[in-house]
Amino acid sequence: MNSQLPDQTDIKILDLLQDDFPLTSFPYRELAEKAGISEQEFINRSSSLQKAGILRSISPVLESETLGMNAGTLIAFHLPEERIHEIATLVNSFPEVTHNFIRDNYYSLWFTLIGKDMESLNELLVKILEVTGIPEDDVLNLISVKKYKADVRFPL
Amino acid sequence: MDSVDITLIKELEKGLPFHAQPFSLIGERVGISEDEVLDRIRHLKKTGVIRKIKARISQRKVGVTANALVAWNVHDADREKTGHLLSAFPGVTHCYERVSIPGKWEYSLYTVHHGYEKEIVTEEIRSMAKQIGIEQYIILFSTEECKRVPHVRIGFSGENL
Repeated sequence: MNSQLPDQTDIKILDLLQDDFPLTSFPYRELAEKAGISEQEFINRSSSLQKAGILRSISPVLESETLGMNAGTLIAFHLPEERIHEIATLVNSFPEVTHNFIRDNYYSLWFTLIGKDMESLNELLVKILEVTGIPEDDVLNLISVKKYKADVRFPL
Repeated sequence: MDSVDITLIKELEKGLPFHAQPFSLIGERVGISEDEVLDRIRHLKKTGVIRKIKARISQRKVGVTANALVAWNVHDADREKTGHLLSAFPGVTHCYERVSIPGKWEYSLYTVHHGYEKEIVTEEIRSMAKQIGIEQYIILFSTEECKRVPHVRIGFSGENL
């Protein structure tokens, strides 16, 4: 499909793949039936969608608390505009950073950190501030207190 | 969770292969049978390690380009109730309570919204605010995505999943 936009069938496939994946020997066959296409077409199209960069992967969503990742925070930086991309790249290099976005606000760089406890997160933040040279006054450290919902499913 | 589970999760994190029997292929890589792969995944789900197995989509490439983080200023007493009310809206993919920073940043509830157009997402957020009765909130649209990886990974090095 190269640079072509996904068609109706592709959208249907992406939609089905956003549900919990069937735990069976021939899972694509089951999904293909729902999409009204053959198993082989489902597999070929999924593979093309991945090559086109639309489908990143079919992978597990892990439960953070069960794995001992009990602390999370959202950090916002106020930055001079000319440094935004340089700082964003530095921030990305930390594996504990899971999401990083430039947003339209006085605080322009917003990223999430995850770790086993608050202590390790604080140590990490100190390290990030050292590496980037951002003064503490220009930082918001918005520690997460409670998760009400986390269900990424894009409306297609 | 034993060492085989960890190897299995790391293998799953690389993404399911597009092959008629993906779990059989995963089993070959891990050194266990297809049945054992499926049994272990079922057990990992039952014990709450794996929430789901699903596609990760590059939202921008399917036209979902409007991504908003909304910070809501809500009184302490109403927070729990409001958190549940906000979560109930289908357009909300995430809802978190976070510490506020008195005098600097008074917001305590956060929602994430995704949509095709900024205007539509903004309208949804306005209507939510009106229905719930929150006057102070700030909409932070993203202008660029710098990084997005799964929230939790066993194989920390798998950056490009």
